[in-house]
Amino acid sequence: MGQEAVSGQVSYQRRAIGLWMVRLATVGFALLALVQVLYVTELSTFGFPSWLPVFLGFGIWGVFLCWGNILRLGEQGWRALFVLPAILLTVAMVIFPTFFGFYIAFSDWNLSSATGQHFNGLANFYQLLADERFWNALSNMIFYVATVIVQYAIAFGLALLLNSEIRGQKFFRVAFLLPFMLSPVAVSWMIGKSMLEFRFGPITNLLRGLGWENPSLLTTPWLAKSTLAAMDAWVWIPFMMILLLAGLQAMSKEVQEAAKVDGASGWQGFWHVTYPLMLQVSMTTVILRIIFQLKLADIVINTTSGGPGGATDTVSSFIFREYKDRSNVGYGTMVAEVYLVLIIIFVSLLLKLSSKVMQRQGA
Amino acid sequence: MKLEHFHYISRRGLLKGSTGLAAASLLGGIAASPQQALAADDLRAAILKIPGVGKGQPTDADWQKVGEMCLGATKTSIKQGELAGVELSFMGLNNQNVHNVLFRGLSKAWADYTGVKINWIDLAQADYNARLQQSIATKTVDFDVIEMGAPFEGDVCGKGLASEMPDWVKKQIDMDDIVNYLKPPVGTWGGKQYRVTVDGDCHNFNYRSDVFADKGLADAWAKAGNKTPWGVPKTWQQVNAVTKFLKGQKMDGKDVYGYLDPTKGWGGFAFYFLGSRATAYAKHPDDKAWLFDIDTMKPRVNNPAWVRAIQDVVDSLPFEPADQLNADPGTTGFQQFLAGTGSMLSWWGDIGTNVYTNDSSTIQNKAAFDILPGSDDVYNAKTGKWDKLASGPNFAPNLAYLGWGIYVMARVDADPKKQKAAWSLAAHLGGKDIALWMAAYPSGFQCYRNSQHNVDEWVGAGYDKAFISNYLDSQFNSYNHPNGAIEPRIPGIFQYYSAAEDILAQIYSGKVKVQEGADQIAAAWEKLTDQLGRDNQIKLYKGSLGM
Repeated sequence: MGQEAVSGQVSYQRRAIGLWMVRLATVGFALLALVQVLYVTELSTFGFPSWLPVFLGFGIWGVFLCWGNILRLGEQGWRALFVLPAILLTVAMVIFPTFFGFYIAFSDWNLSSATGQHFNGLANFYQLLADERFWNALSNMIFYVATVIVQYAIAFGLALLLNSEIRGQKFFRVAFLLPFMLSPVAVSWMIGKSMLEFRFGPITNLLRGLGWENPSLLTTPWLAKSTLAAMDAWVWIPFMMILLLAGLQAMSKEVQEAAKVDGASGWQGFWHVTYPLMLQVSMTTVILRIIFQLKLADIVINTTSGGPGGATDTVSSFIFREYKDRSNVGYGTMVAEVYLVLIIIFVSLLLKLSSKVMQRQGA
Repeated sequence: MKLEHFHYISRRGLLKGSTGLAAASLLGGIAASPQQALAADDLRAAILKIPGVGKGQPTDADWQKVGEMCLGATKTSIKQGELAGVELSFMGLNNQNVHNVLFRGLSKAWADYTGVKINWIDLAQADYNARLQQSIATKTVDFDVIEMGAPFEGDVCGKGLASEMPDWVKKQIDMDDIVNYLKPPVGTWGGKQYRVTVDGDCHNFNYRSDVFADKGLADAWAKAGNKTPWGVPKTWQQVNAVTKFLKGQKMDGKDVYGYLDPTKGWGGFAFYFLGSRATAYAKHPDDKAWLFDIDTMKPRVNNPAWVRAIQDVVDSLPFEPADQLNADPGTTGFQQFLAGTGSMLSWWGDIGTNVYTNDSSTIQNKAAFDILPGSDDVYNAKTGKWDKLASGPNFAPNLAYLGWGIYVMARVDADPKKQKAAWSLAAHLGGKDIALWMAAYPSGFQCYRNSQHNVDEWVGAGYDKAFISNYLDSQFNSYNHPNGAIEPRIPGIFQYYSAAEDILAQIYSGKVKVQEGADQIAAAWEKLTDQLGRDNQIKLYKGSLGM
């Protein structure tokens, strides 16, 4: 069948079959969804105990949509097949849940409530505006995001080191990557809960040996925040390092050699040649890392639970407690949606800024 | 050939040891009752020797052995293989490698005998509440049996999700043996019995006997100008004074600390520890309520009694170990007190049973127990005044959590075979003999039966008589105290506690003033009560107080 379709010569009969296949599948799926909506809204007594059949129906509809398009459009249908499944999956797993999240965010829904979920307009949003703990967590995020610059500097240094002709280069490449291979949860336990343990932790004992009488790293607000930032950096610096290393290795050696021939010192060669040429890779690395940093939660949840007194709290760990400990689904979702919007705005501005910097650099 | 019957008889015979009573009972020539009573005593003595106190922490092999030896009651109600083909999902905790982990071992012989397959759903303590609430709210209850605390009964039994206990189970587990404070209304909802109790919970006062018997410290205490003799504090006022005094003191060349306050959240469970400091101030003998006003659910957490308790924590923290601001209850109990840091602690009864049986304990021969400290005065929420009782200090044990229980879900009721299997499993784990073993060894469970107060049985297991008498008295005197502070079994109770934990953390770290923070907690609780439905909460609160 494929040859005719790929050739672009689609017969009338095949087009008709494809068209009806798409139409029937669409009507079938719409009917299935309608039946379930009527059932859950108690307008009908016929329906399914869960939404699983509707979800499966969406998948079957997707299959018929792709198949119908191939029959109907020939080569164009085949081309669509490369992206359509990904689009349908994104719609099902990202776009729909995000918009459905708004529906939950505008409701008063506590899982223990005797009356269940009910619409409460903007009440959750107003609550968020007045919630000191949310603003505290958001202000902590500024600190955590700012540490990305330090992480970048260290990662760049390590990347330069691994890019140079040093002994054991391959070993160090793998060794430096190891922290990134560890789960942040494991890091929280290994470092935060064990090595930094006040009584028997090897790091705290070392600090005692160096003369620090009470090396409690997780009880003073600024120190706790810095300690968590350091643990997080330890996990993520290798990620930045590997991107920067890839950039360095892709860079033409001739340019650097030309600078050397012209008498540039090591620092001058780096600052006037390597660094500007690496700006694009650097921007991409930093922006990606900031996006990851904005989701920081696991290390905080496991090591300090946001304490002492909210000093290490992040927006994600705050949302986690709101959901998990307080079953406050409506408000928790509102915080998550608002944070998503803030992230989108922030990252968009960042991209715009980076694009301007690049343009200026290009000019 | 019923080889397993032969094995069973042989095992019992073995337990009866050299007395030859096993052979005699098989012959049937001796009157049954004294025989059975003696056999039961032998069984209890035998299981308590597995592995034996001071012989290391019990292993899975030990749990399996105990479970197998306690199968007698199951065998009277179920034939071998009668429930083959049934599958049960059991949801519970995996804290400190006990609870569900222990249940696996204890129920292996039961599963082999009945033919039931058990699928285990393990949860960390901090994840438990969320998982349960999500299952209820989304109508996706995917477990047949659950290990659950009484505070969740409002959420589960109140919504018709639990199966009512059949009469044969009540008989098998000997309900009359359970201590009074865990009898109905605990475990019931709307007059129906739902719970097989496996645990009795209260906070008791754990202290270091060596610290309070130390001559050097006694001299230093007197030298510091204290008029009262050096000894175990009986009131919170004394606890606070001792905590302040001990900062900077040394015993055997090591730093000594006083009371240990957990200040880090623990999924709502850390709030109990403030409760233990507050009950002596807030639970008036003339008033059943201490957490909310009965008729309105107005929180009392910002009244002078609670504010005083919070202030006590704030004032004590500078005198506690330097990492106390990052210590949750697990840390204070197992990493600090059992490991030798701190001399006073409020905790559930697990500490006492771990002193001699937990491999990480360093305080053998150094721990002693009492009911929670009292207070020289108690706040009367009705008059708004502090009362000094004619009887002396006010004591009010915090009956925190009311223990774990095994609950069978209503979804098994449609299948009689499955229902029987689920209840049989619950009855096996809540049996009288197995209860004794679970209280004597690390299990996450403490005494909940009157029959567990037999000191001689514990001594037979290897416990020191003075130690275990002291421990059991601290437990049973708390359970039977006339002014015990009862936990409200209302829906969402852990949401109240969790909301408080966040604000308390800010108070403890100095970000928010005590009264201001307490007012914030009260405001958060009021909002929560409205969200959950105030009228319903008031009704259930009254019910939980037996009103």
